[in-house]
Amino acid sequence: MTIWWFVLWSILKVLVVTVVLLTAVAYTVLLERKVVGRIQNRWGPSRVGPFGLLQPLVDGAKLFLKEDIVPTSVYKPLYLLAPVLALGCALISIAVVPFGNPEVAPQGFRIFQISDVNIGLLVVLGITSIGVYGIALAGWSSNNKYSLMGSLRSSAQLISYELALGLSLVGVVMLAGSLNLRVIVESQAAHGLLSWNIFGGFQFVAFFIYLMAAYAETNRAPFDLPEAESELTAGYHTEYSSMKFATFFMAEYANMITVSCVATLMFFGGWTSPLGNLIGPFQNQIINAILPIFWFVLKVFFFLFLYIWVRGTLPRFRYDQLMNFGWRYLLPLAILNIVGTSLWLALKQ
Amino acid sequence: MNTDLLRILPETILVVAGILVMLIDASLPPRAQRRGLIWVAAPGTMLALWASLIQLRLDPGTAFFGAVETSPFTIFFHVLICGIVLVALLLAYDTLPRDSHHQGEFYALVLFGASGMCLLTGAVELLVVFIALEISSISTYILAGYRKHTGKGPEAAIKYFLLGSFATGFLLYGIALIFGATGSTQIYEVAHKAASAQNHTFIVLALMLMLVGILFKVSAAPFHVWTPDVYEGAPSPVVALLSTAPKAAAFALLLRVLYQMLPDLRSLWMPLLWVIAAASMTIGNLAALRQQNVKRMLAYSSIAHAGYLLAAFAGLADKGIAAAAFYIAAYAAMNVGIFAVVTLISGYDEHLPLVADFRGVLYRSPLLGSLLIFFLISLIGIPFTGGFFGKFYSFSAAVGGGAVVLAIIGLLNSGVAAAYYVRLAVTVAQKPENGMSQAALPVPQIGVAVGAALLFTVGATLWLGIAPEPILRAAENAAHALQ
Amino acid sequence: MNPIPYHWQYLPLLIQIVVAFGLGTSMILGSRFVGRHRNSKTKLAAYECGVEAVGDARGRFSVRYYMVAMLFILFDVEAVFMMPWAVIYRKLPEITGSRFFGFWEMIVYLGFVAVGIFYIVRKGILDWSLDKADL
Repeated sequence: MTIWWFVLWSILKVLVVTVVLLTAVAYTVLLERKVVGRIQNRWGPSRVGPFGLLQPLVDGAKLFLKEDIVPTSVYKPLYLLAPVLALGCALISIAVVPFGNPEVAPQGFRIFQISDVNIGLLVVLGITSIGVYGIALAGWSSNNKYSLMGSLRSSAQLISYELALGLSLVGVVMLAGSLNLRVIVESQAAHGLLSWNIFGGFQFVAFFIYLMAAYAETNRAPFDLPEAESELTAGYHTEYSSMKFATFFMAEYANMITVSCVATLMFFGGWTSPLGNLIGPFQNQIINAILPIFWFVLKVFFFLFLYIWVRGTLPRFRYDQLMNFGWRYLLPLAILNIVGTSLWLALKQ
Repeated sequence: MNTDLLRILPETILVVAGILVMLIDASLPPRAQRRGLIWVAAPGTMLALWASLIQLRLDPGTAFFGAVETSPFTIFFHVLICGIVLVALLLAYDTLPRDSHHQGEFYALVLFGASGMCLLTGAVELLVVFIALEISSISTYILAGYRKHTGKGPEAAIKYFLLGSFATGFLLYGIALIFGATGSTQIYEVAHKAASAQNHTFIVLALMLMLVGILFKVSAAPFHVWTPDVYEGAPSPVVALLSTAPKAAAFALLLRVLYQMLPDLRSLWMPLLWVIAAASMTIGNLAALRQQNVKRMLAYSSIAHAGYLLAAFAGLADKGIAAAAFYIAAYAAMNVGIFAVVTLISGYDEHLPLVADFRGVLYRSPLLGSLLIFFLISLIGIPFTGGFFGKFYSFSAAVGGGAVVLAIIGLLNSGVAAAYYVRLAVTVAQKPENGMSQAALPVPQIGVAVGAALLFTVGATLWLGIAPEPILRAAENAAHALQ
Repeated sequence: MNPIPYHWQYLPLLIQIVVAFGLGTSMILGSRFVGRHRNSKTKLAAYECGVEAVGDARGRFSVRYYMVAMLFILFDVEAVFMMPWAVIYRKLPEITGSRFFGFWEMIVYLGFVAVGIFYIVRKGILDWSLDKADL
């Protein structure tokens, strides 16, 4: 019987997490519009609901009801597959992310992590890489020059920065000795803030490499070349309208959230408290279960805010600068970080 | 010092030299001449050769958890391959276009390829075998397309690459099946398990698949079709290398797989190789008869030579292996030599590719003409040249192994082969027709490097033909090491 | 309650994959049925900023994209090899009995990677603005 309870429980977890994630996506969009508005001395959306809080719902409804245009020159199977692939890949990785203390497991069923697999980090990296297909196929199947240029640029950019991204995480894997995200977080839990990988593990170089590579991976400013509107109108999704466009849009923000989650897990101690054992554990089991989620969400929120802040502040790179930066600086730096970390670990033992 | 590292010393030296060439090549300004890199490549190869000889002092044995072996067998082939590579480098130094800024890549690829070939002869772990084969193959694929601005260069490279990867795929499937059948990829363990196995079905299937991959590399019929096109399209210094060193390595692998890994299946693979040897000789020689292009003719002749060599496999273990190893050495010496001469006569860009174009070479350049005739004599197999003893040992091994008919087929084939070799020799010796533009053709200049290469190959061919004892003894030692 | 076997952990991942792709598909199909359709030839033409489209997008493009793709394959495979090493790194001294065994092994490996990076950079494969490379 256990298997059926397990399946039921898993389905429930998946549905709840997906709904929460989609809501988070919608409100990240609102957050971005508000914050960028304030940076540019505007108000941002403020009419629909109090502080514009209902804006995402209205936007969603609008996009859903828009006319669905499929241009005549597109290659239809891939044209329709591309947005599904992009969104699908963006939503999968959350399954391995422990967003609260997974030890909280009444009846042996973990609440705060959908799937606790030993190759969690590889799942995240692998699924994110498949996301490139969404963009590449979208650009090619649109049969539009802007789309093609945008998708070529984007694919080259994504695969270039993926190297630095993957290598920057090797140091953390070395410290934790595992690819399991839960184990990686637990390896940083000892002394609060001081044992987080970014401080205690001397992984700050890796963290900055990761951060920059992650911005490029999610096609965000200052690396938003694929959709540089001044050159390419809308890049790879020029020919996409209504819900198909919204799908790409949601995929981008869902990827942002995933990347922020991974940054939190790998470098900022995941759900652990920055204060370590100074406060808690509390008598109340429910507070003990909720508090890690609070810390996790706070850290992820910080990264999302940073994303928006950077977008509101920095100008866009030029394409040759972008490729140069990735290959000539980030990649060797990531390798040096691995050498440094391994040397440090060897000396320490 | 750890003997593990000593056992891969020649390969290490070759790789380090290759990396050095690569780094210096990349550091030089883009338009600078890169011929000087020979001063890294050639000493590196000599050092590797010396390192192989040093290994004679080690006790035969394996290194890296039974992945690589050093024995008289591997040392024999290491020395042979390093020698071939050295000659090919010297030949390339004088004949590649001087202003080409791809010369750095050429030297680096030759060195990397050589390291792969050396590793291939020493590997006793099938996965290392596969990796070594890939290292050597990929380097040679690129080298085959070195003249990328001619039509035939890329054609050669693409044909070689596609067919070669396909053949390597067969080899890999064979390895996978071996692993499935015996639970190991270490050649000694496989041999041990195969000897005691009840059911040989999968091992036989694996052997067939592996044979496809290996026989492709040695260009034996029916896997020979790539040879003429690749030899025609690749630049001659590369062909000098391509037709000898990778083949030597692949034959070493073949010997290892047949005599060391699956000697008990001899009753099975012997008839198979019998047929392949006969077919290679016959197809190669008959096709060579009709060729007008010298390089294509030599390509078909190399297929035929692979056949003569495979005849040695019909022999009993010790004689057969020794004969095969000796034949490889003799064949390498004369084939590198003849390609060196052909390079000089027809030029790097091959403005004189046909047999008819070779008319009167003996009068334009008596030295080159006589050298060409000398190598042709050796290829025919006339006494006092390496070619004679090679064939002699090979066929007598076949007779010793009971394959009299195969030896007779080989002898008949040698007669057929003489026809086209003699045709070329006669053309070379003919007086140039008066008033023909050929008389005005420039006399090829023989530089120091290529002179050394020619001296080396002529010396080796003669030495093997007059005093084959030392090499034969080395080959016999190699054969003993394999059993 | 029996502990849940490890392999069951892949089941929720599978469910998540199904849900994620199902969601994308249903959203696109849904909007297709909900939205109105009033098409014209111009509306369905490829978008080139209001000008009539010239040809299609099936032309040639810079060979550098291929180079980047090939380099990615090379370096990504190299990066993948580092993952198992990283996982076992802290246990290597116990296994091999030498403190620096894992370190030197990886230094040799990374040395090859570094030579590769140096080579491609110097050969101008990554120079998108200059045409130094002989591609």
